[in-house]
Amino acid sequence: MPKHELILLKNMMQPGYTGSLTDYEKTGGYQALRNTLGKIAPADVTAIVRKSGLRGRGGAGFPTGVKWGFLPKDYQGPRYLCCNADESEPGTFKDRQLMERDPHQVLEGIVLACYAIGSETAYIYIRGEMVLGSKILEQAIGEARVAGYIGKNILGSGINVDVWVHRGAGAYICGEETALLESLEGKRGLPRIKPPFPATHGLYNKPTVVNNVETLANLPHIITRGPEWFAAIGSPPKSTGTRVFCVSGHVKRPGNYEVPMGMTVRELVYEYAGGMRSDKPLKAFIPGGASAPFLTPAHLDVKLDFEHVAAAGSMLGSGGVTVMEEGTSMVWAALRLMEFFYHESCGKCSPCREGSSWLVQTMRRIFAKRGRMEDLETLLDLCKNIAGRTVCAFGDAEVAPIQSTMKHWRQEYVDLINEAEAANLIRPEPVARR
Amino acid sequence: MTFLEKYKDEISDILSRYPVMRSALIPLLYVAQRDQGYVTESAMQEIAHLLRLTPPQVYETITFYTMFNLKPVGKFHIQVCKSLMCALVGSDTVIEWIKTKLGIGPGELTTDGLFSLSVVECLAACGTGPMMQINEDYYEQLTESKLDRILTDLRSTGTSPLKSGPFMWPEPVKT
Amino acid sequence: MTTPTAQTVRIMIDGMTVHVPKGTLVIEAARRVGVMIPHFCYHPKLKPDANCRMCLVEIEKVPKLQTACSTPVDEGMNVRTATTVVNDAHKSVLEFILANHPLDCPVCDQGGKCDLQDFSHQYTATSRFTETKRVFQKEYFSPLIETQMNRCVQCLRCVRYCDEVMDVKALAPVGRGTMTEIKHFGFHPLDCEFCGGCVQICPVGAITSRLSMYEYRPWMLKRAETICGYCGDGCQMTVQTKEQELIEVNSAHGAGRNNGDLCARGFFGFHAASHPQRLTHPLIRRHGALVQVTWEEALEYVADRVNEIKAAHGGPSFGGLISGRCTNEELYLFQKFLRMAIGTNHIDSSARYGHVNGLQAMQLVQGTHRWTVTFDDILDADVLILVGTNITETNPITGLKVKEAVKKRQATLITIESLEPVVDTMSNIANLSHHHFRIPTSDTHHAIVGLVKAVLEQNLTQPDLAQRHPTYVNAMTSALQQISWQNLQAATGIEPDAFERAAKAAAGARRVVIVAGQLLLRSEQGYSGCLTLLDLLLLTGKLDAPGCGFAPLAEENNDQGAIEMGTVTELLPGAQPITNDTERERIAKQWKGELPTDKGASLIEMLERARAGSLKAMFIVGENPVGSLPAAIHAEASLRNLDLLVCQELFLTETAALAHVVLPAASSLEKHGTFTNTEGHVQAVRPAIEPVGDSRPDWEIFSALSILLNSPMEYAESKEILKEIRSLIPGYSSLGPTPLPPKVDHSAVDRYLTDGYQRDLASRYHPISRASRPDGTVRLELAQSLFHSGKLSTRSKGLLQVEGSGRLRISPSDAARFALSDGDRVRLSSTSGEMTTEVKIMERVPQGTAWFPSHFGQAAVQLFECAIDPITHVPSFRTATVSMMKVA
Repeated sequence: MPKHELILLKNMMQPGYTGSLTDYEKTGGYQALRNTLGKIAPADVTAIVRKSGLRGRGGAGFPTGVKWGFLPKDYQGPRYLCCNADESEPGTFKDRQLMERDPHQVLEGIVLACYAIGSETAYIYIRGEMVLGSKILEQAIGEARVAGYIGKNILGSGINVDVWVHRGAGAYICGEETALLESLEGKRGLPRIKPPFPATHGLYNKPTVVNNVETLANLPHIITRGPEWFAAIGSPPKSTGTRVFCVSGHVKRPGNYEVPMGMTVRELVYEYAGGMRSDKPLKAFIPGGASAPFLTPAHLDVKLDFEHVAAAGSMLGSGGVTVMEEGTSMVWAALRLMEFFYHESCGKCSPCREGSSWLVQTMRRIFAKRGRMEDLETLLDLCKNIAGRTVCAFGDAEVAPIQSTMKHWRQEYVDLINEAEAANLIRPEPVARR
Repeated sequence: MTFLEKYKDEISDILSRYPVMRSALIPLLYVAQRDQGYVTESAMQEIAHLLRLTPPQVYETITFYTMFNLKPVGKFHIQVCKSLMCALVGSDTVIEWIKTKLGIGPGELTTDGLFSLSVVECLAACGTGPMMQINEDYYEQLTESKLDRILTDLRSTGTSPLKSGPFMWPEPVKT
Repeated sequence: MTTPTAQTVRIMIDGMTVHVPKGTLVIEAARRVGVMIPHFCYHPKLKPDANCRMCLVEIEKVPKLQTACSTPVDEGMNVRTATTVVNDAHKSVLEFILANHPLDCPVCDQGGKCDLQDFSHQYTATSRFTETKRVFQKEYFSPLIETQMNRCVQCLRCVRYCDEVMDVKALAPVGRGTMTEIKHFGFHPLDCEFCGGCVQICPVGAITSRLSMYEYRPWMLKRAETICGYCGDGCQMTVQTKEQELIEVNSAHGAGRNNGDLCARGFFGFHAASHPQRLTHPLIRRHGALVQVTWEEALEYVADRVNEIKAAHGGPSFGGLISGRCTNEELYLFQKFLRMAIGTNHIDSSARYGHVNGLQAMQLVQGTHRWTVTFDDILDADVLILVGTNITETNPITGLKVKEAVKKRQATLITIESLEPVVDTMSNIANLSHHHFRIPTSDTHHAIVGLVKAVLEQNLTQPDLAQRHPTYVNAMTSALQQISWQNLQAATGIEPDAFERAAKAAAGARRVVIVAGQLLLRSEQGYSGCLTLLDLLLLTGKLDAPGCGFAPLAEENNDQGAIEMGTVTELLPGAQPITNDTERERIAKQWKGELPTDKGASLIEMLERARAGSLKAMFIVGENPVGSLPAAIHAEASLRNLDLLVCQELFLTETAALAHVVLPAASSLEKHGTFTNTEGHVQAVRPAIEPVGDSRPDWEIFSALSILLNSPMEYAESKEILKEIRSLIPGYSSLGPTPLPPKVDHSAVDRYLTDGYQRDLASRYHPISRASRPDGTVRLELAQSLFHSGKLSTRSKGLLQVEGSGRLRISPSDAARFALSDGDRVRLSSTSGEMTTEVKIMERVPQGTAWFPSHFGQAAVQLFECAIDPITHVPSFRTATVSMMKVA
């Protein structure tokens, strides 16, 4: 029951829409491309995007137009655009829907972005598990090539853009832009030291822009309807446009909901997602995927935009809103996320690699009622020693669940430890043995 | 016939997409895995030779990524998501069902070689959990009867109509 | 800012101001002011990886701590390395690293030289970790290198060194997260160059040497800084001993011309000196057998026999042959002994096998006996031309300079090598080449000619040269015109525009260095090839330009020293021609005697005279003609014909077994002295152990004999010999850290450009006649293996574990042609001899060629004929056409 205009999900919501080129063109697809190539200067396209206030929809929320502006102006060699379709943040499943249901919307955005930054080659780095998604994209690219929207001399403009699908092979860390580039280069997906940044030294050490699927899908609309239109939606000036939020967990109607930025959590969860699935009230929620700190029912009226969620002590992140009902153990929830981070740690830097292993083992022990009171201080101290000391933001992400659950539900930890001490069982548990 | 000879055309198409040869490594490893169900050492050596890499360089890359099998797996490789969002809606129960129905736990293979199970992290289907991926297909919003149906389908026809198509959830309300 | 140091930046570190060049990393800037920032993964030779996070420091105005190893300095930067926050950060990182690190110190060889131990001690780290440490199953890694992955701190220094510095890429970080371990390929044991670099660079005990496993603690060892004796690179190494036992060799970072890098020979080959079959006592032949005697007996016997033979046949009936493995002092004393005490000019050394070719070419064209460039010029070169080197196997450390020049400093590499550019388990210089000319060794000269022709015909000749020496340029032009491009293409298989592109690259560059290796120097065209390469430098105007030069690689560690000490028949000390009367008089005056006047015989001539009966006696020191020379030379028959053969040796070689007297010599690990490396740099050799058994340094033996022969040359220590050398050879031997190369002698160049070139212009530049190779044959090349050097290394138990026997390396296409698999046996035969051996298929071997390592056995060398260069008298016996047949 959308009470406002859908933009990104609009086409796919039409009955009978198949996502084919014909269907997309019928809704006005590729008009933005027609009206831009050779007609608006690339630098002006960047200016339009900057004016719209569009921010990255992958998790970091960096202003897209500003990112494009970092590419070197006088550089003559090849530049690359990478579409980050590695959606692996737990709680997030919007890019999957965008790619599988309306691939041409994403492709048009890719070609527009390539034009703006002067790139002739775009790679869609899609996670390996999304086999259907990669097939759908390949087919759409084939259709677009035949129609002349991708390839040489697009629409007679003299612009060449080639788009290729490149499948990942199962590594969450490859969603980090420099790890993505390493993986695209055929290596282990270890993040690079920054600086230098991809804008100057990216894929094959050439200037590169990495953008999320949803970010790129917004571009045709921004071009067609103008940056002012986009900037008026949501919470201008800092959080403009809509977001496709992915609601999961203990709600009646989990799924993707495209709403303007700045909607409250309460409205999203209770109006759109149908509220709690049973009579158990809401106990906790995560606003932006597994890397975002947990929030409490006291935060239900927080507006879902970058500033307000940050002010509340969490982050908007990938837009994955996960709801937990009363009766969910917060220690268990934090442990489950810690298992994820332990499994996905690339192993490059000492604090994250050793820290994730240490944290997960301690959490397992606590949850299995073999914890000790000192463990709580150790957990927090370790989290403090990891955050801000790592090569990439994974370190900051992996400490969020433990830090936030300790902050808001410390008693649950204490209770488990009390039970352990009562039973007088304190034995460490083995980790993976090869 | 060597691996490179068998897939000559596909391989040269893959190589043409990248200005630097090493980028073709992961796509080529997928081709090798498709061929045998897992990536053999000789395939790794052939690919190394083609891309002008050393076998250790191929080996270090392939072991970083979870989707590459270095050993044979079952004909149907079941991967159940165990991340928090699926766990909140019962993924642990799915694993229990599989244990009961197929008799295998994570990392194990049924004696007839048909099914193997592993538990994996988030597959970007959190709104439709609990769910699993079997080979290339997603199976979402699992219930026990659905699971039974899927296993039966796989055993008899090798595929199941319950596999997910292009994803959209929630579906548009029909007027 | 127009100051000369506009590229420097001023920063503050812990309150101290320092000016450093722009681009310096904070960790390096700190070191300049004596501040050691703790680190694991940083290493000056490697690209920063910033993965250990140990080097976090505070930088003013930056909110998060920054890694000093990856942050370049900025003007006005204020760095603090010792605040509480930084200290706590270091401690926390240590705590993380120690979390999964086993308490292995009692059983870990790194104990006492371990970075992790040192930092733990410095930060008094304690660990709260009470969970379970991750465990890796211990696996066998290789015969020489051991891994214990539980100890690994995942700094990836080993992987990065093997990739960035060595270009081998044999080590792989496998897995993800805490379960990352360093392996080779699957469960296969390590197969690589065994340079020991990973062992040296590992900050903990995860990668250690198996050769010295469990044998010591670092504080028990004595250390001797000396120079490796296995090749002309002259690497500085630290030999570590426990009393009289050789334990380990390594090289400190930054040490020597090798910058702390070593190769398999240097790192693992030291046990040759302590082989049980070392000669420990003098031997005299009595009734057909060699029996042990005392030094007095042996030396007096030699003196008596010498006097007898001298009285009967004169001084010139004696000859001497010495190895380029000996020290400068010993080489000098040997030729002085022979010239003064014995009275003969028949002197030669292992420099004759190839080094003399390079030397005579340099003397003729540029008037120097040394390189006019150094390793640093190789690093700084814009274009490097490698000719017949196979440098990664023969002179690996010079090879590292080439690799660094190409990989880190973007030099253009032109290679003329008998190599296919394939990737396999060892580094391959052809892989880094921008212009690779794959050519069999015997045809190397044709490729050089092609480059010269391309230079002339594309007007790349230096205009100034054409003006000053038009006759030379015209003569060259018409000579090269007679060789058509079709002729060259038919002979080499290389297209003309490949030569043209390479010539353009070389001519258009500012700093061009040409490196010539033993495959060229030891071939029939060794001398011609060097002259043609010098012509190339002359024509392009590069011979005397800064940063340019010709660099022939020395094979043995002191072949260059042999030249400079006059231990070749045509030279006096200082590499002065013996025909130079002024020099003869000066030296004779200093030696207070008369120098013999007759023309001396070189190596092959001495053996011929021995066979003919005119040479009656020989002193052979460290050389093994019977084992090294082909049958056509009849070395054994020649030596058997002598009335007196005195051998000074480490082992009872085939030659020593024929001797009348065998004197046990001390190896280079047991004596003082100096070696002159291929750059011409003189470096100190120091003993690590006492001479084994009753062996004595060679110079002491010569000295003792000279006294008994009433021509006393007494020295209390080898330093006194060096003093004499320095007084004799003006401007000789700076023992500073870097060599001071001589400049090109312009008068010599002028002489060459006026007359000198005419002598063999026609013999070098002429149309190429091409005989096709018959079916069923291959071009056999006798080559040096990376893991060995001469025959001495085959006594090293470490190196034998990597390459224990000789196998014939053939290409896959020849394997198919002859229906051979790896390990099959073949019989090779030529008009001179035959041999049976095992094959090893290697893709880097070009089709139609086969290599055999020269270190194993007599058999291979019997297949070769011997050609003697008419000018330099260098015998070459490294290529032959042989028929090959599979045998059961």
